[in-house]
Amino acid sequence: MAKTWILIKTMLKMQFSTAGKSDMEKVSFGCLFIMVIPFGFFILTMLNSLIGSLYASLSPTENENVILGLLFVSVTIIYIFVTLSTVLSSFYFAEDVESFISLPFQPYQIVMGKAAVPFLSLYGINTILLLPSLLFYGIHSQSTIVYYAFALILWALTPVIPFALTAILVIFIMRFANISKNKDRTKMFMGMLGFLFIIGINIFIRLDSNQNGTGMEEIITEQNGLLDLVTKFFPTAYFSSISLTSPSSLTGVMYLLLVIALTVGGIILFMTVGQQWYFKGVLGLSGGKRSTFKDNQLSKRTRKQPVLKSLFLKEMRTILRTPTFFTQILVQSLFFPVFLVVILLLESSGSLSSLAAGIEGWSAHTTLIVLIAFTILGLGVNPAASSSISRDGKTWFNHLYLPIAARDVINSKLLISFFLNLLSITVISVVILFVLQVSILVWAIWLLASLAISWITSMIGLILDLEQPKLNWTDEREVFKGRMIGLFALAIEALVFAAMLLLLWLVPVFQNLVFSSLFMAFYLGLTLSIGQWYLNKKVKEKYTTLQA
Amino acid sequence: MIELTNLTKTYPGKTAVQSLNLTIPDGKIFGFLGPNGAGKSTTIKMMTGILPMDGGSIQLNGKDISKESIAAKKSIGYVPDRSDIFLRLKGIEYLNFIADVYDVPKEVRETKIPELTKQFGIYDALDDHIQTYSHGMKQKIVVSGVLLHDPDIWILDEPLTGLDPKSSYTLKEMMREHAEKGKIVFFSTHVLEVVEQLCDEVAIINQGKIQFQGNMKEMKQQFKEDDNLERLFLELTQNG
Repeated sequence: MAKTWILIKTMLKMQFSTAGKSDMEKVSFGCLFIMVIPFGFFILTMLNSLIGSLYASLSPTENENVILGLLFVSVTIIYIFVTLSTVLSSFYFAEDVESFISLPFQPYQIVMGKAAVPFLSLYGINTILLLPSLLFYGIHSQSTIVYYAFALILWALTPVIPFALTAILVIFIMRFANISKNKDRTKMFMGMLGFLFIIGINIFIRLDSNQNGTGMEEIITEQNGLLDLVTKFFPTAYFSSISLTSPSSLTGVMYLLLVIALTVGGIILFMTVGQQWYFKGVLGLSGGKRSTFKDNQLSKRTRKQPVLKSLFLKEMRTILRTPTFFTQILVQSLFFPVFLVVILLLESSGSLSSLAAGIEGWSAHTTLIVLIAFTILGLGVNPAASSSISRDGKTWFNHLYLPIAARDVINSKLLISFFLNLLSITVISVVILFVLQVSILVWAIWLLASLAISWITSMIGLILDLEQPKLNWTDEREVFKGRMIGLFALAIEALVFAAMLLLLWLVPVFQNLVFSSLFMAFYLGLTLSIGQWYLNKKVKEKYTTLQA
Repeated sequence: MIELTNLTKTYPGKTAVQSLNLTIPDGKIFGFLGPNGAGKSTTIKMMTGILPMDGGSIQLNGKDISKESIAAKKSIGYVPDRSDIFLRLKGIEYLNFIADVYDVPKEVRETKIPELTKQFGIYDALDDHIQTYSHGMKQKIVVSGVLLHDPDIWILDEPLTGLDPKSSYTLKEMMREHAEKGKIVFFSTHVLEVVEQLCDEVAIINQGKIQFQGNMKEMKQQFKEDDNLERLFLELTQNG
């Protein structure tokens, strides 16, 4: 056990150490933390009033434990989902997996060590979600001190079982799935699953709340059968709810003991499964598949192409083939518009038509401004530009000894983020033309403006990344993790475009589409030229000095 | 021809390369020797345009690396000491990318790619991602890329590290053939036997300064005739 403890401590130190983090990063985290406080306060207030109103409407029929059931079921689902990806990446995809395997540890010890970071992170979520919820329930139900004691114990125990069972499932799947051949594909799948989950939840909630304006409370009472069914799938959620409903009774104590016993059982099972199967799944992960190059492909694969195209293809292949880049850049750049489509399409017919009608009611001028503002936001969040240089990491130096002009390398990077923005613009176009049924003229003006905005946002991201790229990474996630560059880019874009939008909005003569188009052409043209000039200047200054 | 004149590079608190002068005529295999941290890699990085220099000049085939960088870089082929090349590309994609960059005609690509990669035994792996290659295979694909455009000056930083004996032999043969065609092979190494076997000329660098430059014969003459190269090397780099 002492060795397991050493391993756990080492893993935690490696993950949470602030060593090597710049002061800039520390300050940024500090600022972010302060910014989160009001947001957190808002969420807590919402949670409190939700639990309060649910309690008020459910307690007359003595159905209030449904709240607890629902609470435990939903956190369990969230924990399962979170654990799925964190365990997969910690147990199987982390770069350090192999270095631990060669050390004289038992598989269960490595599994316990590897579980430490994801498990602690889960407690973070647990503290944010479950702790205040249980507290609010206690306040609304005017519970005794025994309730709070039970609540604290159950709060501490709740993450264990979903974590252990999900980890067991992952270990089991990895034991039999021939993952070593599809390591990258699995990573991509997990990344996309996250986005699908968010969109899925959104669809679910929207479909649900579209049932003729049924209130949340009614759904719960009406669907009591469903709730029973759901808690049947998550027995611990059921036991926890019962235990908390009558903490002072024998039943309450028995159910609490049952949860404790199940938790201990879960841990033992997790260690046993880890001991049996972890190595079987993890060994051979670093091996890659070998194919045979076919002679007849040679002519096709050695086609001559311009350097710029060659660089563009190299960048694109890197993004498509690197799971982290794929999910963070490609999936994310499509996520925003797709999310928008989902929201718009799933609105009940009434509100959709009212939205379309609302837009019809707007002047072409207003519609254009709103669409452009939305596009700026949509393109601004795309991290393709602000990771342009950093993505290369330690391979950056290859650009320096090859006889490629700096201009070509930089342009290929701009083209990549412009091209990825084009995907978002296409999706938004479909929405504008077919869902919102905006006139072709407004769409055409919007499209031209969007193309310019896309180039400008790409330049802003690239300039920022050129200024302070993160080249010394060992894991691609570091390119995006803990960097404030995305926020900086958004802030600069807000400044650059706010002036244009404000003038378009306020100056009376711009009500006329011809004048507003001319003004935009002038404004965007000017911004583009200044941006291009500044970018060229920065490239001259920084290009050859960048070193990993 | 390679001409380094008063080449200087300083880092905060340290002079990595100090007024270094070297002239290397065509048709030579030139060995660049020195202990760890002597300034070998820094010099090579400046020669290839990876690191900006603080003073002096570098002429590669009459082109100044800092003034006519693209033209100068076109005349060199560089094999870095680390194999951090574009890992997400497949072998064949990498070679075609290099061919695009150096304007290699399609006919040459079609004949040379199979020829070179078969010599190194990596032809079958051309359709695999470079990331899945071993260190030696990565080294071989980079060397193949360099020879694909047949540069006038071939610069290699610790080229034999990580190569198996057969590939090591093949590479040495290639270096020799390259020099026989009247081109320059400039390489850094720690392996003294390789220097003895291969080099026409040698320079020994220590603490950023050239300690010796000449051919093997001169080097042995200058010091005791019967001394082996290892002792000679230690003697030269002992006091800096």
